[in-house]
Amino acid sequence: MKILPPTMRQRKRYLAFELISKEKISRDELIRELFSSMGSLLGDAGSSECSMRLLTFEDSKGIIQCAHKRTEQTRASIATITTIGGRQVLINIFGTSGTVATATEKYLEGVKVFNLEEQSHINW
Amino acid sequence: MGKPQFYDLNVHSRPDNESTIEELTALAKHFGYSGLAITNHSNTAVDPVATGTEDFEILRGIEIVATSPSKLHGLIGKYRKNVDVLIVHGGNENINRAAVENPNVDVLAHPQMGRQSGLNHILAKSASENNVAIEFNLDAIIKGRGGRRVQTLSNFRTNLNIARKYDVPMLLTSNASSYFDMRAPREMIAIAGMFGMSKNEAVSALSLTAKGIIQKKRSKPGFIREGVEVIGEDVLEGTGDPL
Repeated sequence: MKILPPTMRQRKRYLAFELISKEKISRDELIRELFSSMGSLLGDAGSSECSMRLLTFEDSKGIIQCAHKRTEQTRASIATITTIGGRQVLINIFGTSGTVATATEKYLEGVKVFNLEEQSHINW
Repeated sequence: MGKPQFYDLNVHSRPDNESTIEELTALAKHFGYSGLAITNHSNTAVDPVATGTEDFEILRGIEIVATSPSKLHGLIGKYRKNVDVLIVHGGNENINRAAVENPNVDVLAHPQMGRQSGLNHILAKSASENNVAIEFNLDAIIKGRGGRRVQTLSNFRTNLNIARKYDVPMLLTSNASSYFDMRAPREMIAIAGMFGMSKNEAVSALSLTAKGIIQKKRSKPGFIREGVEVIGEDVLEGTGDPL
């Protein structure tokens, strides 16, 4: 099928994030939890408005796509994630951007995911 | 005005809960907070500690758990001089009332009681007069699921309406019991939006209200209460008031 002309396409925002956890979390597990937490907070109708997608996820950081007018709701539902498969996790959003390229460039390139053990030793 | 400085004024540490102050501080710094208040429950018998650095404040706090209003007032007297942030563990009708009627209290934490929001027009008026902030503890939304969270959200919505009407200070906190419960300021604001709090209100709940609590000059010598202070005689002579 022919793709929609640019003016008819839904506008998007890209959220660059890091996943803080003591154990490794797989992409599939993260996707399942993202949708389950959004479904629980916003319901099916609300989730469909957000049109969230996980684009990339590597080395505990990645990019989530969402509808540009639903960024706050998407943020909130991501923030309500507490565990994935019984393992404690915490998702921190570095920032949002209008394109994947700037989101990657501005927030993800060369950034190391927060590691609590390293951090609390350096500072104290 | 510049960038607002954010504070999380209700965070629990070891032994009240599982994370150390060092861990909580490291994460709070990473999230861009300017300070934390370590507010362990008074019934776990912890001495409040303060070890701040130049760019990050760690405030001494306490969350007082009391079974009756008279015991509460006693405990407030005991802790007030030693802490920066005095929180009352709410959720009981009599305790909520006693807390908002005492100007020495900074924050009434989680006033909601099951189906009831725990706040009404009378308590709100007292809270406003005595400058006691009402807490919206976002851990209830972050960690809760299903019916209980629905109830929490509607309680928060009710409290928000009452607080707006009577101009009660509002405070957003994580009430964290582990560092995994903490959220960055932007996330806190987004979650607050879920129960109808506007972005401006949420920003000031995390920054201005919190700052106001920290800066109350209670410890200054000669301080009696908000707006009243004893000025030494030498100070009066020195002014040389030209009549």
